This record gives sequence, structure tokens and C-alpha cells, in this order.
Amino acid sequence: MATTGTNHLQAKLVLLGDMGAGKSSLVLRFVKGQFFEYQESTIGAAFLTQTVAVNDATVKFEIWDTAGQERYHSLAPMYYRGAAAAIIVYDISNLDSFARAKKWVQELLQQGNANLVMALAGNKADLSSKRKVETEEGKAYADENQLFFMETSAKTAQNVNELFYEIARKLPKAQPAQQPAGMVLTDRPTGDRFAIKSTCCA
Amino acid sequence: MALDESSKLGWVLRHGTGKGYGWFRKGAKTKLRDLYSFSLEVSEEDAAVLNDLKERVKETARVWRAIEESKGACWYSQPEISSLSDSSLVSSLSVATLANAMHLKKLIRKGIPPSFRPRVWMAVSGTVTQRSTVPDSYYSDLTEAVKDKVTAATRQIDHDLARTFPTHPWLNSPEGHRTLRQILVAYSFRDSRVGYCQGMNYVAALLLLVLKSEEDAFWMLAALLERVLYSDIYSENLYGCHIEQRVFKDLLMKKFPRLAAHLDLIQFDVSLITTEWFLCLFAKSLPTETTMRVWDVLFSEGVKVLFRVALAIFKMKEAELLSTKHVGEAISIVQDTTNRAYDPDILLKVAFEDLGAMTMYIISEHRKKQQPAVVAELEERLQRVNSPRSNRPTQVLL
Ligand SMILES: Nc1nc2c(ncn2[C@@H]2O[C@H](COP(=O)(O)OP(=O)(O)OP(=O)(O)O)[C@@H](O)[C@H]2O)c(=O)[nH]1
Ligand SMILES: [Mg+2]
Repeated sequence: MATTGTNHLQAKLVLLGDMGAGKSSLVLRFVKGQFFEYQESTIGAAFLTQTVAVNDATVKFEIWDTAGQERYHSLAPMYYRGAAAAIIVYDISNLDSFARAKKWVQELLQQGNANLVMALAGNKADLSSKRKVETEEGKAYADENQLFFMETSAKTAQNVNELFYEIARKLPKAQPAQQPAGMVLTDRPTGDRFAIKSTCCA
Repeated sequence: MALDESSKLGWVLRHGTGKGYGWFRKGAKTKLRDLYSFSLEVSEEDAAVLNDLKERVKETARVWRAIEESKGACWYSQPEISSLSDSSLVSSLSVATLANAMHLKKLIRKGIPPSFRPRVWMAVSGTVTQRSTVPDSYYSDLTEAVKDKVTAATRQIDHDLARTFPTHPWLNSPEGHRTLRQILVAYSFRDSRVGYCQGMNYVAALLLLVLKSEEDAFWMLAALLERVLYSDIYSENLYGCHIEQRVFKDLLMKKFPRLAAHLDLIQFDVSLITTEWFLCLFAKSLPTETTMRVWDVLFSEGVKVLFRVALAIFKMKEAELLSTKHVGEAISIVQDTTNRAYDPDILLKVAFEDLGAMTMYIISEHRKKQQPAVVAELEERLQRVNSPRSNRPTQVLL
């Protein structure tokens, strides 16, 4: 979940999506500005942080980049529990990954945090010659489910920062911004049963 | 398969600066290759630890060679040390055999020299025995029979070959890919219920680097999945993995109640990071030689070693962790600890000397206790995911 200081926000962000869709690559591009043709497959999940500044506030993302293989999905609740934002990633050159992304969207919609900022990312946009999912399809699905949508490429960096910054901008709106520093945001509706315990140390 | 023999000796030292392993730390970095040809970029301090380790490994090799000379080759073959905890078996052993086994157990805790690992691992894990029950051609028959088959598992394996330690020179060669593929594909047919689970690729890759034999690596992988690790750790829903995670949390609470309570307070569910440890047997988290040292004891003493090592990592940073106020801070501390655990002896000392008793019996009891909760948890998610979609809720009850 996101906790605030005066103008410092810590936000748990989770990435979900099919194996090989490019979750780790997107995170690595965003956090370290790197891209590898062969990115290690993720087991369980990887944790990274990155801080960005938007409208004279800073947002520190605590990013959980999860594993995509089907059987790992049973672990997902542990990673999205209490998240402030989620990026659901698919690979535009792979139809199955789009189907998988839709399932993730549905699972997240049902997990109960009404303020979860959700983004749908159609990754590998550089592979236009192999495209299987049209931009309009992704966009339409996102609109229908009130997610915001971007086509990205971890390889060329296209829209990667934009994606994370857009999430950062949407976050403060999702939470009342005028909380005194150090206070815990328990007044917002949330399905996270641990919300009350949440401590703030921004 | 022929692994480059000289590579394991390469400690190519080169100075440089920049980001790399432990990139969050500033200062001069040294580039080097570890004992298994993985390239690292480490601080001067860590480079010194690694160099010292290299000397100690040489010394251990001298000790093992001396013992071999006096006791004869394969003195470590009998009996399986893990059976030492089985008192009925122990009483049936002669004093001499028993003494031998105790000696071996102690030696293994101090580390098996890399050159001895293939033979010793195969012997103490019981792999040699297991293999003797099937025809010699078992593995070649299996690989031949499944050669051109395409399944969901083979597709996922193909997808992961180039993504398994991609920076390693041999693993990233066509021969490396081909060898790793054969092992994983063969295993996916040997146990089609497990098929292929991501994580097995890292384990198989390190087995290959150590054993330098495709067939031996296959059998060690089989030994791990079928006898050493808890069953179903890699199977559908990772049922066994869920159980082990809960058992680990139980043990953490029992051994370090104050720490467990604090981590709970800052909402640090330790499985967020320990899941990877149990699925890759630390292959992705600890430095290579440290991982190998954990595996030495894992094969000789059994799965409780994983719990000991995992607990030791938390124990080593107990004070620091107790002063954390936020989950991100705590995670960074733990990750920094595992990434930089270049000295295996420090970690193993804590694991075996500072944690008190922990028997297989206790672990089994905790597993039994956790089964209903895991079944319920998995069931609950399935129902939620499969239930007809609800519209995005506007108000949710706390
Ligand atoms: N062309 C292209 N390739 C990409 C892009 N993003 C990722 N890849 C490649 O796709 C492969 C998979 O990327 P990862 O980032 O590991 O995918 P992941 O979703 O993290 O996969 P898992 O960890 O297995 O769940 C890697 O070999 C990447 O190099 C992209 O934008 N364009
Ligand atoms: Mg990944």
C-alpha cells in the first residue's frame, strides 16, 4: 500500500503477466536503464526500488516483479496484497499472453482494493512485424475495465518511464494527500485487512 | 559433454568501477570470475574474502586427498550419512563404519573440495544406489525416446534455456543450452506430473557446472526432487513450496520470536523472499561457492539444511532487522546479506552452531500441521479467480 509523508509517498507496485512478457525487463529498464536480450527468468519474485519525483512530491516505488509461469500464480496474492499499484504486462507478439493478462486483471479486480491503480502494458512494441494483438484491442480492454493503457518496449525504452510516471501521478489522487506526516491512511476504503496495522516511516 | 576444465581455476582479477553485483554500494569495484566462471563485480573487501576462500578451498582439497590416500578411494561411499539420524540403522553399523560416517559428516560441513564434489555428491545422496536399480542405458534411452516430442513443458524449457544464468560463458553456449535442455526435457518426461517448473533450470545448471556430466546431473536432479526435497515442491500450484514456506515461518517464530514479531509488525511476510531460496536452493541468491557449500550439506544431511541456512541468514542480521521500520528496508538488508555471503564458513557456522536443535521430526510435524491451511488457501484463490467477475468495487468492507 502507499503511505505518505508530507510529500513523500511509498508505494508498493506489483507486476503480473505471462512468462516472458517482459516484466523484469520493464523494471530493469526503469530502475537501471538497462536491457538484456536474455533476461533471467524470475523465480518467486524480485524486489527493486526506484524513486521518482512528480509535481514536487516524491514517490518511492517498492517493486515486486513476479514470476510468470502458470504454477507460480498461486503465490501471487502474497505479492499483490497491500499493493498501491499494479502493472499487468503482455507481449504484443503473443496472443496467449494477452489472454493471461485479462485473467490477471479479473483477479485483481476481485481482490478488493478499490483504489488500486492498475495499468495494462502491451510490451515488446518494437516487434511490430510480429504483432498479434492490435493496439485497439489492448486499449478497448483497458477502457472497459478502467485501467490505463500503454504500449511499451523495454528494449527501446519506449513509454517505459512514461508508464511508471503516469502511475506515480495517479497515486496521490488515489489517496487523500493532506494526511499529516507519519499518519496512517486507514480512512480510505480498502480490502487489505492489514491496513490498520500499517506503519509509516516516510 | 566437456566443460572447460581450466575455467574453474580462472580468478581473473581486473580492476574497474561501476555497477554490478551489489551495485547499490559505491566505491571501487573489482571484476573477477568465481570458481565456476561466473563473472562478478565486487568491492575490494569482498574480493579479499573471495581470494581467501580460494586458498581455503585448496587447503581442503589437500586434506581430502590425504584422507583418500590413507583410506582408499570412495571411502565416503558408505553408508548414507543421512541415515545416521535413524537410530535403528545406526545400531546396525559397526563402530568403524559409524566413526567413518561421523568423520565424513564433519568433513562435509567444512566443505567438499570442488574436485571431489561429483563423486561425493553422487555417493552421499544415494544417487549411485538409485541408479544401480535401472539399466545403464536408462538415461540415453529416455533422451532418445523423447527427442522430438513437443509438450507444454518442452516449450517452457526452450523459452528458459537462454535465460538461465545468461552471463555464464559455458551455460550460454550452444552446447550449454543443448545439455541443459536434454536434462530438463528428460526429467519432464520422467515425472510428467512435475513436468518443468521454473527454478529447476537454475538447479540443473549448477549441477551441470559441478558434475560436468549430463547424465550425473540428471540423476542428481532426480535425487533432489524425489528424495531430498519435500514432495510436490515444484508441482502444480507449488503445493509443497507453500507448505515449506509456512514451516519456515513457524520455525522463525519459534527460534526468534522477537524478530518474527517485529517483521510481522512491519508487514514483512518473509516468504516474499524466501520462496526463491527454497525453489532454487539458493542458486539465485547466494554466491556460487556458498551455494555449493549449502548443497554439500543438503545432500549429506537432508532438507533440514535449507531451513537452517534460511534461519541463519535472518539470525545474522537480527539486530539490524529489529531496528527497521519499513518492509523495504528489511528486504534490502536480507538481500544484501545473501548477495554478499561470500564466506560460506560464516553462514554455515551460524546455521549449525547458533540455532539449537532442529530435527527432521519437527519439520515433518510442522508440515502436517500446515497442510489444511495450505489446501484452504489454494482453494480459496481458485474459487475467487474462477467466480464470475464482479464489477470494480466502489466500497469494500474492512
Ligand atoms: N524485443 C523485445 N524483447 C523484449 C522486450 N522486453 C523483454 N524482452 C525479451 O523477452 C524475454 C523475456 O523478458 P523478461 O523480462 O525476462 O520477461 P518476464 O515477464 O520477466 O518473464 P518471467 O520472469 O519468466 O515471468 C527476454 O529475453 C527479454 O530480452 C521488449 O520490449 N522487446
Ligand atoms: Mg521476470
